[in-house]
Amino acid sequence: MKKRILSAALAAMMATAMLSGCGSSSSTASGTEETVETEGTADTQEEAAETEEGSEESSEYTLESGVLMVGMEIGYPPMEYFDEDGATPIGFDVEVATALAEVLGLELEIVDTAWDGIFAGVTTDKYDCIISSVSYTEERNNNYLLSSPYVANAPVIVVPNDSDIADIMDLEGKSVAVQMETTADYLIQEYIEEGLDTDLRQYEKVINAFDEIKAGRVEAVCTDSVVASYYLGDAASEYKTVWQSEEKEPIVICMKQGNEALYEKINEGMAELFENGTMAELAVKYFGTEDVIEGLAEGFTVE
Amino acid sequence: MLERIIRWMPQLLNGARTTIIITIISVSIGLVLAVFLALGKMSKHKILSAPCSAYIFFFRGTPLLMQIYFIYFGLPQLSPALTIRSAFVAALIAYVLNTAAYLAENIRAGIQSIDKGQFEAAKALGLTYGQTMRLVIIPQTVRRLIPPVGNEFIMVLKDVSLVAIIGLTDLTKVTRAISSSSATALVYIPAMILYLIITAFFTFIFNKLENKYSVYQ
Repeated sequence: MKKRILSAALAAMMATAMLSGCGSSSSTASGTEETVETEGTADTQEEAAETEEGSEESSEYTLESGVLMVGMEIGYPPMEYFDEDGATPIGFDVEVATALAEVLGLELEIVDTAWDGIFAGVTTDKYDCIISSVSYTEERNNNYLLSSPYVANAPVIVVPNDSDIADIMDLEGKSVAVQMETTADYLIQEYIEEGLDTDLRQYEKVINAFDEIKAGRVEAVCTDSVVASYYLGDAASEYKTVWQSEEKEPIVICMKQGNEALYEKINEGMAELFENGTMAELAVKYFGTEDVIEGLAEGFTVE
Repeated sequence: MLERIIRWMPQLLNGARTTIIITIISVSIGLVLAVFLALGKMSKHKILSAPCSAYIFFFRGTPLLMQIYFIYFGLPQLSPALTIRSAFVAALIAYVLNTAAYLAENIRAGIQSIDKGQFEAAKALGLTYGQTMRLVIIPQTVRRLIPPVGNEFIMVLKDVSLVAIIGLTDLTKVTRAISSSSATALVYIPAMILYLIITAFFTFIFNKLENKYSVYQ
């Protein structure tokens, strides 16, 4: 019941949040945010109107009367997190999901869930898909249906400015904090298996990993580049990114294995968002550059 | 299925060890602290009873999850001097402080369940308050305390699952990790069975203790 009320309120709040510009967004593009967003919304609404005409065919996959239920771990700035009121989801993924639902002519319902267990939720149909900074991995690709990447990403290591750690191998004998079950977590585990002797500390929220480095209890944090850029934006004087994995881990939308109908729809919708410039606008708004989506549009071509 | 369970078992047992260690240490130290808290709360002197009552009120009145979170993440932000370096130590502190509050109430109930006549008889014999407690009341209370302490022990055993928030790996966290990496929730079955085995073992120990102390009855 709560969720229904939430979703109704969400649509209204999200529009307001988008128009007024996110309070906590510190991106350099904040000056142009307002106009960019208004245009984007107008564009997508037109698209939405167009798609709605063809809603006959979409009814075969829309799982609950025209509602796209999206699982998110809200607490992963700048990708998905709560505004300062503690109730309004904001962030890159929230805006992608909103725009996607719009072009597909669906109502968006965001289901906030713990990261740990988020994949079980899509397998058991708690929501239709996960749009929550899911990095592509082979293991995930085997267990779930993954869309083509919509934003580039790679694991990075963040250390205090005065640290002498300059490479992942320098973590030897040191401690490193990660969010559990993230690709950063897997990456460090892989290195440990290959003989790197480091003290891996896993936390439920990425913010806790940063709490740890602030408290001086760990010497480094390993996390997604998209997240690191956000935290460093706030504390650039104290921390720095020293290493970036060569293995890229682009971010994808995760669906249940075998849900081909939804896969095709999302593919179509994302192609639209790339084509009408929404993705480019969001990339600039959140990451200050279009580089993070460069070349990704090709992944969403519709025959 | 069996093959998978065998594959998961080393990790699960590793987590179970952390769960058991934290539970035993917390309840043991908590019990000692609880005796003082209980006696303090029952004291006629306000200067003793007020802080003990406040302590019990606080630790029973706020979620354990918040207490763990605050001790580990909150204190360092309050003052860097309050930083607890080890997550394990921070967890022990939280569980000891929390379980002591609950155990104190159990102990107080145990002491107050002893017939008032015994206090009067002890007084008539010229025993001081300390002697009465040590020689007459507490030995009788011990047996009555075993069931509630056993109960608290089992509660703590399961509450240890909260340590995941500060980065420790207990049985529950291992289970969740396996579940998400292998995309199956079936790992909860052997995990729950492990919890039941641990609980059964300690229930057995507490029953033994209860029989042993029945000689006072």
